Amino acid sequence: MSDESMPAIERKTYPIDHLANKLATGIGAGRRLGLMTARKSGDGDPLVLVALLIDLVTGGLRLIEAPMRPGDNTYSSVTARVPQAHWFERSIRDFFGLTPAGHPRLKSVLLHEAWPQGFYPLAATSPQAPLRDTQARAYDFLQVKGEGVYEIPVGPIHAGIIEPGHFRFSCLGETIQNLEIRLGYQHRGIEERLQRTPWRRIPPFAEAISGDTTVGNALAHALAIEQLTGVAVPPAAAALRAAALEIERIASHIGDLGGLAGDIGFLGPAALFARQRGRALGLGERLTGSRFQSAFIRPGGVTRPLSEEMRRSILADVIAFAADFDEARRLLTDEPGAVERMENVGVVRPSLARDFGLVGPAGRASGQGYDVRAALRQPPYDVLDWTPAGSETGDVLARAMIRIQEVATSFDLLHQLLSTPLVDFEIMTTLPDTLPANAVGAGVVEAWRGELIHLAITDANGGLLRYAVKDPSFNNWTGLAIAARLELVADFPLCNKSFGLSYSGNDL
Amino acid sequence: MIRTLIQLAKGGLATPAELFPDLPEYSRGLPMVTDARCSGCGDCAEACPTSAIRIGAAGEVALDRGRCIACDACTGTCSTGTLAADRRTRVAALRREDLVLTNAPKRIADTPPPAPGPLRRSLHIREVSTGDNATDLEIGASTNPIFDGGRFGIHVVASPRHADALAVSGPVARAMREPLLRCYDAMADPRIVIAVGAAAISGVPWEGGYADANGVEAVLPANAFIPGSPPHPWYILHGLLLAMGHPAARG
Ligand code: SF4
Ligand code: SF4
Repeated sequence: MSDESMPAIERKTYPIDHLANKLATGIGAGRRLGLMTARKSGDGDPLVLVALLIDLVTGGLRLIEAPMRPGDNTYSSVTARVPQAHWFERSIRDFFGLTPAGHPRLKSVLLHEAWPQGFYPLAATSPQAPLRDTQARAYDFLQVKGEGVYEIPVGPIHAGIIEPGHFRFSCLGETIQNLEIRLGYQHRGIEERLQRTPWRRIPPFAEAISGDTTVGNALAHALAIEQLTGVAVPPAAAALRAAALEIERIASHIGDLGGLAGDIGFLGPAALFARQRGRALGLGERLTGSRFQSAFIRPGGVTRPLSEEMRRSILADVIAFAADFDEARRLLTDEPGAVERMENVGVVRPSLARDFGLVGPAGRASGQGYDVRAALRQPPYDVLDWTPAGSETGDVLARAMIRIQEVATSFDLLHQLLSTPLVDFEIMTTLPDTLPANAVGAGVVEAWRGELIHLAITDANGGLLRYAVKDPSFNNWTGLAIAARLELVADFPLCNKSFGLSYSGNDL
Repeated sequence: MIRTLIQLAKGGLATPAELFPDLPEYSRGLPMVTDARCSGCGDCAEACPTSAIRIGAAGEVALDRGRCIACDACTGTCSTGTLAADRRTRVAALRREDLVLTNAPKRIADTPPPAPGPLRRSLHIREVSTGDNATDLEIGASTNPIFDGGRFGIHVVASPRHADALAVSGPVARAMREPLLRCYDAMADPRIVIAVGAAAISGVPWEGGYADANGVEAVLPANAFIPGSPPHPWYILHGLLLAMGHPAARG
């Protein structure tokens, strides 16, 4: 465990015309596009495009900024050369009104018909709730033409207890020719709200971005603030944070495995996994005082010490639970009927996973080895004994197996983290009263769905100029659309569950 | 098949015998107002990120649990013990104002609680999620083998046509307004609306922004309110049983 503060971000400014080239070269040299967005600059100056590149070998972060030309809201799209940017550029258009000329499929990604034309909330000084009788934005679904092609529109409200989103299937017979996923129904104006919230008050707001990733978001926020302020976190706090993150991963993966078993129609394991998910939430409740582990991770450390008695009780349950999970998951993976149902369904080839920058279990199921915990050499993972999961086959089965492996790894990590007493150690560092001026901090976390990023950029007075959030789902929804193509309509629920994506985190 | 049955049997009975047990002592629960005298220092109101607490000049405390996101910022700052963790689980209410806890003396001519709605013995629920997925997960958990809403006739149904109650999670921002209204319109009378979680009740912490994420009641009047962020599955069952007029809700 190291208590070094995180290395600073390398920050570079280029002319807007060089942006595509810089990003393409960076990605060719083994980096990935963590996020791409825009920000305001000083009074009256043009907006600035911002891209965060992550070096997959060294874990180094580089922020590339490119100011727009004065009086010109158009720049040349980078998507043709950097396909990972496709949704980011659409989002920049939705929120800042900047047009990426030459984008292959330019349309809104989060703000569609419910929103008026010409309303760009992150470019405005103080965005107002716009009137309802103003001209709505237009949205056209991709049309698949040909004899016998028909559409199935599904959502935004779905049949189960599921977040809202619209799926437009274009089908020929029972086969999906194209799936267009339209989200944004839950857009709550989060980034704008965070930017004007006093920074000390942000943590509980960050946790509410996507409550199923409370720990991931709290941690990404904390890391961003700690990088901004140059604060180092005590090693015991880093260990307790990692424990919370792994408990969140266990609970979420097990919950989704239960959903997967349910969608296969294999209700025994589904019921077992539902109970085991509750058991995992109980671990988090003992560690933090809340089932979703809220109000635990804060910039500077964690809020609650772990008593020796509690550590022993959690550790004992971790050991027993790991064995029980293994028995439960065997019911699924030893059952040829269940395995065959998942095999060769919803395949995402590694080349596409790479081009579109898929992250997390979905990326690792399709040959992308990237795992933030390892790639960024984050403490305490840098000194623990573990390896990221991996597979090449990219089908529903691979995504399920990756999740199973990751649950086992998380139990093992918890075992290592909780094997030594953590009492009498410092768990919180004091933060400065103000944020530094003209600075940047990025929190990158391997949340249970994959790479989650919070990016904070301050202005000349140390106020938040931009607070950007990138949920792993923002990368991976495209993976689901690819996986569904040429599959049967009846396979879609299974594909969907195997990705287990967030709508809230995506919609912001 | 045999192995699955053995595994299921090994777990024993998952559903606990006791209804609405207190949360364990290591759990935070929601804040509550105790009888301990308030010094009027105002630290809690200052610390609360969602303005859920009002303190009067003479130490009158009003804590609105419909605005509380359970961030734990207030109880730690209160040196008098006026604000403390509440581990009880019957915390839902049929009236919005009943979520506001105070240290004022009980009014003698308190209005009687409203009569429960027309839906007894069984409640079929259409859940609509609008941006609070932790609450969705806890609604799901309230039907799992541990909390087992099914034993009270509570079922989540796939169509508004089959539903008695519309349970809404999340703050219903601009783009979910129309889908929510359409779902409500598709339900047959009698029907009720239940706001599940602080975001649904008051829009916190996103209310007042450009996205109109101001809670269910900005769109539809609600008949029951379940606080928490997210509400514990027991809180959810309490709210649902209250709405059904079930004796277990009274405790
Ligand atoms: S716990 Fe609730 S009442 Fe207390 S500070 Fe947080 S939001 Fe406010
Ligand atoms: S409730 Fe406690 S913290 Fe709040 S004003 Fe009273 S004494 Fe101060």
